[in-house]
Amino acid sequence: MAFTRRHIGHGVGLRTVHFTDVLGGAPPVDWVEAVSENFLSPGGRPLAVLEKVRRDVPVVLHGVSLSIGSTDPLSEQYLDDLARLADRIEPAWISDHLCWGSHGGRYVHDLWPLPFTGEALRHVAGRVKRVQERLGRQILLENVSSYVAFREPEMPEWEFLAEVARQADCGILLDVNNVLVSARNHGFDPLAYLDGVPAERVGQIHLAGHSDRGRYLLDTHDAEVPTAVWDLYRETLARVGPVSTLVEWDDKIPSLSRLAAESARAAAIEAETLAPRRRALP
Amino acid sequence: MTLAETQALFHALATGEEIGAAEAERLVLSTPELPAAERIGIYAGMYASRLVDALRADFPKLAALLGEERFRVLGEAYARAHPSAAPDIGRFGRHLAGYLRAYPARGRPDLSDLAALEWARSEAFFEAPAGPAGREDLAALGAERFAAARLRLVPALRLVRLEHGVVPLWRALEDGAPPPPPVPGASAAAVWRRGFDVLHAAIGPEEALALEAALRGEALGEICGAFAGREDAAEAAFAALGSWLDEGWVARVD
Repeated sequence: MAFTRRHIGHGVGLRTVHFTDVLGGAPPVDWVEAVSENFLSPGGRPLAVLEKVRRDVPVVLHGVSLSIGSTDPLSEQYLDDLARLADRIEPAWISDHLCWGSHGGRYVHDLWPLPFTGEALRHVAGRVKRVQERLGRQILLENVSSYVAFREPEMPEWEFLAEVARQADCGILLDVNNVLVSARNHGFDPLAYLDGVPAERVGQIHLAGHSDRGRYLLDTHDAEVPTAVWDLYRETLARVGPVSTLVEWDDKIPSLSRLAAESARAAAIEAETLAPRRRALP
Repeated sequence: MTLAETQALFHALATGEEIGAAEAERLVLSTPELPAAERIGIYAGMYASRLVDALRADFPKLAALLGEERFRVLGEAYARAHPSAAPDIGRFGRHLAGYLRAYPARGRPDLSDLAALEWARSEAFFEAPAGPAGREDLAALGAERFAAARLRLVPALRLVRLEHGVVPLWRALEDGAPPPPPVPGASAAAVWRRGFDVLHAAIGPEEALALEAALRGEALGEICGAFAGREDAAEAAFAALGSWLDEGWVARVD
């Protein structure tokens, strides 16, 4: 059981407001991430845009509705649609979130946190295996921001994430902003989180901004990456080495060139952070 | 508490109208600065706002007509009556037109029709491209095969039955003009796509019947029968069929 990381550089999320830009030429980044659910329809402009972008740069499919942690059955229709999209787009990889978002057949379209228990761990790991068999590939699971911790947790979040990845033999999409947001909201040390994540399974990093609501941090993805997230990114890189990194910006979305500049900053920080380590190699 | 019990309780609290402090405490940890109920309340707020935002994206004219607050109240009531049942949040609004027919606070009686038109436009946007066939495909049938031939219409075509004439209302809202008063009376509109642009137009009662027949997969003889009551039945039928082909509504003539 192993996970093979592929470094495809530094990318940004493909959003509707940038469609005109990317139709006019190749996006000014190494790769883009597309929210899978926005492209599951049989046609229309979004799918046509994605197919055009795919001819220019690698595409990663990032889902929000797999609901891997739900006690509802996995949606076979969703998996069929996702598999069809993957055949069409040939993504570099497919990711979703370590969370649940449906109950009793009702979708909440949010990323709700799991209780970090042995029962939840076995449940999720088993479902990840089934999804990977269905898609014929390993997937990556992302840690989510959270505002609640369930009573009687049996392990810290990072241990839960690490064990899911090991037991299901999947990759990790490490959202550095989400680590910071949850650390503040639950009072844990973000560096302890990073220390607990198995470096060899981290296949991608997310960077984003958040809002400080005084008594808690809210994961809003509506601002530039703040200094604290860049600092934690450096700490992450020092632990896991070079990783494909994406800047997420989902609300009050700026121009593609500004997003690309944030992505270029991530590339520069990676080079700067890892340069001494590279020099030390024989 | 099992995983299923945890999820059932959390779902009930975060999607319900009120969050009981005792139940919240039973489920999640409180801290001095942020009690359990407030923590779950963060999710409740995001749940409601995300669904209302999704409706606003699919029903921009209805949202403009109602204004921010009334649209939010409608959206939240709708979410309680018709929770999302699909992984794609873009499907959430599919019952809104039906819901509005009986919505007590709707005010104008034509909101349901406006929603039906907007929903058809949203669906048309995401359909697969197909065809189109041209007038030459119809001509190639010849007189012998004409009556039994069938039209395969493109997936992006919709016929919307209306109880109020909302096409002028849609136009006024698009132009930022004052909305005209409701116009009661049965009518129909066709919705389709040209390239990636979604279009719609009011169509007359005979053409609507003909289009319904075509959508059911009836033969051309049956489709043209919709115009039988007119003195110029043949001309009217051919004019309609010709315009369908010109607008790209027909994927194939079999």
